[in-house]
Amino acid sequence: MSWNTIIFGGMFILSLFIFINLSKFKASKKQLDRPDRINRFGDRKPENDIKIIRDLDENK
Amino acid sequence: MSKHSALNTFGRSGNPAFTRNFTSNDSTLASSERMTLDGAVNKTSILLVLCFLGAGVGWNMPVLSLPGGIIGFILGMVTIFRSPSKAGSTAPLYSLSQGIMLGGITMFAETMYPGIAIQALGLTFGILASLLFCYKSGIIKPTENFRLMIFSATAGIALLYLISFIMSFFGNSIGFIHSNGLMGIGFSVFVVGIAALNLVLDFDFIEEGADKGMPKYMEWYGAFSLMVTLIWLYIEILRLLMKLNSRR
Repeated sequence: MSWNTIIFGGMFILSLFIFINLSKFKASKKQLDRPDRINRFGDRKPENDIKIIRDLDENK
Repeated sequence: MSKHSALNTFGRSGNPAFTRNFTSNDSTLASSERMTLDGAVNKTSILLVLCFLGAGVGWNMPVLSLPGGIIGFILGMVTIFRSPSKAGSTAPLYSLSQGIMLGGITMFAETMYPGIAIQALGLTFGILASLLFCYKSGIIKPTENFRLMIFSATAGIALLYLISFIMSFFGNSIGFIHSNGLMGIGFSVFVVGIAALNLVLDFDFIEEGADKGMPKYMEWYGAFSLMVTLIWLYIEILRLLMKLNSRR
């Protein structure tokens, strides 16, 4: 096995491991709590949905 | 009015994949029907496995590369423009067919320059992991201006490739983008940079979708967009390495 394969193969395996494990963590507060964050989905918040479900149940 | 004048002129983004309204009729979802980070990562892993399986097929049967590429392109267009909610069925087929194409291309490159395939693979995933770290830690912060800049550069590159493709039918080409001279290598480095920065937008898309509790199918859509960028990045790195090797 050549050094090329060992170095780049190792880089591939290590990076894949880092990607799979790091992806599952939420981004830092520094990243998430910014006023200039891209807003693709509007002001949608899961908590608001729970409130809507509660309101619907109360109105039944 | 937005404080960004370009956004007022062109809208938030010209990219149909980003401007689509994903929020309709989904305001009362149960938590099990919501997008999560874990779900998106698991789906990305499934797509990666399928892509590698396809690459194995393409490597052994390079004749399937062209059909694989065409089918993958059509499936990609269908997923973006027609049915993002059906990404769960189109994205796996997209990954498989693009994998077949990549397998054929990689086999061709490896035959010309032995050892190039593992270099391209290592560098692609190395960039993926380092940019993910930069995004999660907040070192790179995607903003509307950042998105506008990356989108413009991506659209410019796509237009350049399209013009070059059309010109090739008439026996011409935009010489410098395929050359192994300094301009050609510089262009490839620029394209690799833009493809890599597209990954940051994909990470942010997935993070925001999970944060705002988007519908479950968005996990597949987020994984699909990550795969599209990753495949593009791999091809560009392979092209760059081929240019560098051809100078020896």
